[in-house]
Amino acid sequence: MRLSLSARLALIFSLIVILSLSVVGVILFDALSDRVYVQDDLNIVLAARHLRRLAAELDTTAGIQEHQERLVSLVLGDPALAMRVEGADGRALIDYDPPHMPMIDLRATPATQRVVSEQVQDWTSTGGVPARGVATMATLRDGSSVKISVARSMSDRATLLDNYRAVIWGTVTSAALAAVALCYVLVRRALAPLRTIAASAHGITAERLDSRIDVSRAPLELHDLAEALNAMLRRLQLGFDRLWQFTADLAHDLRTPIANMRGASEVALTRDRSTSDYQALLASNIEECDRVSRMIENVLFLARAENPQFALHRAEFDAGEELQRIADYFEGIAADKSVQVQVSGRARLYAERELFRRAVSNLLANALRYTPVGQTITMAAAQSDSGVAITVQNPGECIPPGELEKLFDRFYRGDKARSNSGTSAGLGLAIVKTIVEIHGGNAHARSDAQGVTTFELQFPAA
Amino acid sequence: MRLLVIEDERKTGEYLKKGLEESGFTVDIASNGIDGLHLAIEDDYDLVVLDVMLPGLDGWGVVRQLRAKKRTPVLFLTARDDVEDRVKGLELGGDDYLVKPFAFVELLARIRTLLRRSPAREVEQLSIGDLEIDVIRRRVKRAGQRIDLTPREFALLHLLAERRGEVLSRTQIASYVWDMNFDSDTNVVEVAIRRLRAKIDEPHALKLIHTVRGMGYVMDTNGHG
Repeated sequence: MRLSLSARLALIFSLIVILSLSVVGVILFDALSDRVYVQDDLNIVLAARHLRRLAAELDTTAGIQEHQERLVSLVLGDPALAMRVEGADGRALIDYDPPHMPMIDLRATPATQRVVSEQVQDWTSTGGVPARGVATMATLRDGSSVKISVARSMSDRATLLDNYRAVIWGTVTSAALAAVALCYVLVRRALAPLRTIAASAHGITAERLDSRIDVSRAPLELHDLAEALNAMLRRLQLGFDRLWQFTADLAHDLRTPIANMRGASEVALTRDRSTSDYQALLASNIEECDRVSRMIENVLFLARAENPQFALHRAEFDAGEELQRIADYFEGIAADKSVQVQVSGRARLYAERELFRRAVSNLLANALRYTPVGQTITMAAAQSDSGVAITVQNPGECIPPGELEKLFDRFYRGDKARSNSGTSAGLGLAIVKTIVEIHGGNAHARSDAQGVTTFELQFPAA
Repeated sequence: MRLLVIEDERKTGEYLKKGLEESGFTVDIASNGIDGLHLAIEDDYDLVVLDVMLPGLDGWGVVRQLRAKKRTPVLFLTARDDVEDRVKGLELGGDDYLVKPFAFVELLARIRTLLRRSPAREVEQLSIGDLEIDVIRRRVKRAGQRIDLTPREFALLHLLAERRGEVLSRTQIASYVWDMNFDSDTNVVEVAIRRLRAKIDEPHALKLIHTVRGMGYVMDTNGHG
């Protein structure tokens, strides 16, 4: 069974209260009963001493009976006291015995020995009445001995202590109950901020990711929790915003080719055209379809690469050779622009070759787009202890630092006016970054004052 | 050559039938897996083009049951291109796999490859019109004039000449010549073709390399539109 935190704390506190109050109660009870017995024992002992002294002043056992009243008067002060004086033959000379408490045969202290509290004996008489008493021998003037017994019925004390015990238990029980209740209420009140946090968390939906948990009223202990939740919300909101933006950009970019296809087809159908016109239209439509396909392929690739289960098919190869192959691939385009592509360096790389080619091709395509006519692009592979670094460097325009970070964002375009996610300008660099990251590496861009832009892909050592 | 196309999308089925028939094949269409499987088992087809997502019995089921009886080559068509799907298709006994949307010329090329019973024999000498290609010595002559080509240009020319009359898509060319197997949006292939044309066709009245707009390139002595 799962108890609430409030109930659990209340239970623990009440156990502590019960335990400590019980200990206090037991100690108090013991102290009181000790006190009561010490006082009563002293009275018993004093009465016995008095009686022995008085008896010692008497001449014979007959005198004892003669002075019975005087002797009995010594115990009259306490109605619970009883006394008996016996002769040497065991015959009772005086038997002042309240009817409720029959005297028993107590062990007697010798006449020469002082009567002290330690000699007090206790018993339960036949009627179930608890009793304490002491007996002593006394020597009369004529040398004869009598046994003096003094006893006290403890039933009044037992009643007193019983009441007292009942009061203690009652107090402990009610204090414990009060503690449970009080504790439950206090804990619940103390945990109220948690419920507030839960309530605000309930109010947060994908549409309302901008709401935050109120940190100012949270107690110190919950402050960190609330802060952590808010930080999580900020990250989620950022992710959602980017996703919204991505979706919007994608939808927007899909419109262009579809609008082209639809528009061109409608215009073509408004009147009869020549075969070559129709052929041109169909060819143009195929081009637009290719754009859409490419866009879908790119988006699907990014989506798949973000799946943690994305499986890499790695192999070891020379990154330098691959750079040369990619440079060869773009040879024609570079020659058209009179741009040189220089490749240098060798490095053993353990990666998925197909993806590596794709990443570097995107980088080179990007570099070719921005390199002025007649200039040189350099590609290099370098091996170090930390892994393999691939750099693609091209002269061009200086990119401000703020823009550099955004280069790898999906659909980021340096030139806002151009819109086409079917081209590398839209998703190409985002794909580069994703490819490097699924290999455990990272991608950076930097730009110097001379306008040389460098893209660096850092692959970790195998 | 008789082909069976098992495809539930009516438009797709129609254009596949039309396109394949115009390319010289006899084509039957089945619009669900159960009918398709029945036809494939009862009739003798040279190849089955099979859509994966079908009503009744899906493409996986068709190929599994077909393979229990026959070895007819199967080419999968699908809108899904997860690697696991490809692997599954090939493991179940499919022979090739093409992801929608695909270029029709690519489908044709794949079908022809699957139908070519023996691997294409490496021809030592190719000639188209007055163009002569010495494959072994990697030499090219046109009208008796020696033409110098870079290794990539030679590879491109060799591919086009070997597939004379067959339209090759940009993706196919990038894959064969440069081993680049992803769809790049750059105009690398156009540029390479243009540069090859400058060396092969420009000085001559008879053009051999033709652009098929929207589809790709073809090499032949007569134009293809």
